[in-house]
Amino acid sequence: MTKRRHSKPWRRALSLAGLMLALLVPVQAQDASDPVPRHYDGNPDINGVWQAINTAHWNLEDHSAAGGPAEYGTLTTMPPGQGVVVGGEIPYQDWAREQQRKNFENRWREDPEAKCYLPGVPRATYMPFPFQILQGNTHIMIVYGFAEANRTIHMDKENPEPAPIDSWMGRSHGRWEGDTLVVEAAGFTGQAWFDRAGNFASDTLRVTERYRPTGPNTMTYEATLEDPNVFTRPWTIRMPLYRRLEDNVRVLEYKCVEFSEELLYGHLRRREETPTGDDP
Amino acid sequence: MATYADVKKPRPATILSASAVAAALLLGLTAVPAAAGDVTVQLTTSARSEAVKWYARHLDCEPIEGRAEAIDCGNAVIEFNQGPIMGASQGTGIDHLGFSFADLEEKMAELEAVGVRGSGVRLQRYDDGSTLREEPGLFKVGRIFDPWGTRIEVVEDPDTLGFHHVHLSASDPVRTLGWYRETFGGVPESLRGVQDGLRFGEVWLFASEHPEGQPAPSAGRAIDHLAFEVADLDTAAVGLRDRGVRFTADPERPAGGRSGAKRGFVSAPDNVRVAVIEPGWQGVDADFGSDADEVASAEPYVVPRTPWGTPDLQGMWSGNKAHGIPLERPEDLADVEELTAEEAAARRERGTLGSIWGYEREWRDTTLGYVKSAPSRQVAMIIDPPDGRIPPLTEEALERQRNARQSFGDYVRRRPAGPEDLSAYVRCISRGLPGMMMPSIYNNGLQISQSPGFVAIQKEMIHETRVVPTTEREPLGPGIRQWLGDPQGRWEGDTLVVETTGFNGRTNYRGSSENMKLTERYTRLGPNRLEYRFTVEDPTVWTQPWTGRFEFELDNEQYELVEYACHEGNYGMTNILSGARARDREEAAAAAESGSGAQ
Repeated sequence: MTKRRHSKPWRRALSLAGLMLALLVPVQAQDASDPVPRHYDGNPDINGVWQAINTAHWNLEDHSAAGGPAEYGTLTTMPPGQGVVVGGEIPYQDWAREQQRKNFENRWREDPEAKCYLPGVPRATYMPFPFQILQGNTHIMIVYGFAEANRTIHMDKENPEPAPIDSWMGRSHGRWEGDTLVVEAAGFTGQAWFDRAGNFASDTLRVTERYRPTGPNTMTYEATLEDPNVFTRPWTIRMPLYRRLEDNVRVLEYKCVEFSEELLYGHLRRREETPTGDDP
Repeated sequence: MATYADVKKPRPATILSASAVAAALLLGLTAVPAAAGDVTVQLTTSARSEAVKWYARHLDCEPIEGRAEAIDCGNAVIEFNQGPIMGASQGTGIDHLGFSFADLEEKMAELEAVGVRGSGVRLQRYDDGSTLREEPGLFKVGRIFDPWGTRIEVVEDPDTLGFHHVHLSASDPVRTLGWYRETFGGVPESLRGVQDGLRFGEVWLFASEHPEGQPAPSAGRAIDHLAFEVADLDTAAVGLRDRGVRFTADPERPAGGRSGAKRGFVSAPDNVRVAVIEPGWQGVDADFGSDADEVASAEPYVVPRTPWGTPDLQGMWSGNKAHGIPLERPEDLADVEELTAEEAAARRERGTLGSIWGYEREWRDTTLGYVKSAPSRQVAMIIDPPDGRIPPLTEEALERQRNARQSFGDYVRRRPAGPEDLSAYVRCISRGLPGMMMPSIYNNGLQISQSPGFVAIQKEMIHETRVVPTTEREPLGPGIRQWLGDPQGRWEGDTLVVETTGFNGRTNYRGSSENMKLTERYTRLGPNRLEYRFTVEDPTVWTQPWTGRFEFELDNEQYELVEYACHEGNYGMTNILSGARARDREEAAAAAESGSGAQ
């Protein structure tokens, strides 16, 4: 297998010669022995629309089928699924496992997904929505299908600064290690969950993600989660991601706020008509 | 010899309401030494003309012939300089100014009637709800704030009307007043035997003990500095230096000085900045920020390219420069080509102050000093039709407007039964298009990202992102309608053209419908300038298309998009609905009571 890895000075020279590069790209793409498409700079080209196909969004750990609110029959049932946690279980501290169980019991009201809140990392990756990667020359944008979530992965900062303020999606810095895109994300609010089973971390969470292309339409996604306030050791989830191959596929707009309003504000709704209502 | 020990202590009070505040108010008090006659006070703000109007309207000061940046307040002149405010006057060594009125109750009622909205007046209320109290042995006093963070004490002292005093906050009030007396020659005097101070002409200088620690430096805060006039600055400077006074800026004619008079700055106790000026001082011309980028360069600008060959629009852009440009051309500016720099600064200030109330000044990018460049001088956004006005509505749209349940005014007036009665913006759903692109009072960031075949346009305000393909693709079918429509982009030379249709029609920009077609053109005009042109076509609403433009400005150095989790933090929605239900209950209770009373 031939890899078109460039040494740094060579890459720098290339980025200066933009037009010349434009000519080089198609030549690289024609290399039949390389299963991974290449970006202008020789790194893997992961541009496109991707999606996970599994039940991790229900529960990262092994789970049997379980029923939901009965009035909707099987529409709200949690399907069974094999866990994506390497080694099986999430190494929670005792209190945290207890908290996760409480979260699970209250999930229909408490899950931030139900409230249309930003999903955080890594949850955004394996929700049942496609996401689009826009791989440029200074940073990589990921636009997720759920709740207008997106991330800017800074690729051009040698010494990443800490996040100026905590956020739901955190602050992400990326680098290429061989053909693997490694992203370090931190600066989270600690309010996001990892799935509909109430798995969670705190605002001291650090996530190291690895996106490793395994072919033109597949990659392996790994996320290592560290949070000394919630877990007894770092742990890792791993799953394949698949390119969406439909013609004209795209990440559609899913502004879910209005669908969460009854859950969030229903108790503040006027229930019976009163004769008045408008302020003068 | 007077003692300075008997000083006023700040008393607890509740703040009635957060005011709409902007602009740097830099106060320079030019007091003439005791021997001389009148006192001059020098103030500075980022919106000079607005500040002049405010002090004239509310504190009875009078504009000065030939000087747009200063105002005569009787015993003192206040001068306004241009610059961002880095905080209110409280907490610095210059705590507040005092103004005296013959009938304070009447004055306070007048100020209260103004309200805090826009460049209004913020009143400080005492715990019992009153705005005035009788100061034992003295007179009635009250406290207000100007829109730029200067605290003002209003008093009823018939002996000194108009500008009354400057009140310092000092680590050692006796020592501080002693310093001013020895340095600038104020006369020790006691105000009705209750409050000791110095007299500079009619103006009192008081000092109170700073509540905690060292006062913060006054420079850059709402009251930036005091100024004292001396007859011969060069000679005086020698004497001052001999007495150990340290000059932080040597006496010189400042750049932009409007007369030949020199000015120097000295370091006063308690981190107070003090200017020393010569007679004939006429202030400094405003620096409205650098317009360097707008100066036509001899070299034609070459738009940079991405490594894959397309024009490169990427970066962190800001709409702050365009904030304040009205969509439509104001009728009184029908023949104006562009505003002067000063008019533009004043307009943005009004837009900042007037567009929102109850928000602290800390929210506003344009007053925080983040905006280094001059505000846009563009008269209006709409360039076509040439009169700058939105074209007439179609018959159909007029009919729809007549039947519309919810105009914006309705949103404000209607007591909401539920979230659906509030706008999509208030609900944190969407600002729609082209609303999403419009400059806002804060969170004006626009991040453009590119990859081969795509451009992502991300606005900070309620974090909306559009992914625009630049190669042709099949449009969405009619069964899919989106708040931000279905965009299709293409490159025309150096310009990114984006055509968007497929709207759900629910954000209703100036009456637009789901049939709107929006055509946007993004063009880099210079290293830091991005022109944004937008053409709105909606034959069901308007009798002809209309086009607007404004510019974004590159701000890679200091700006980073911080996630605006609007919905996640929408406490406003909870509060609005809770308040509405509380009123419902009050009314129901009142109705029940009057019902039972009638029996």
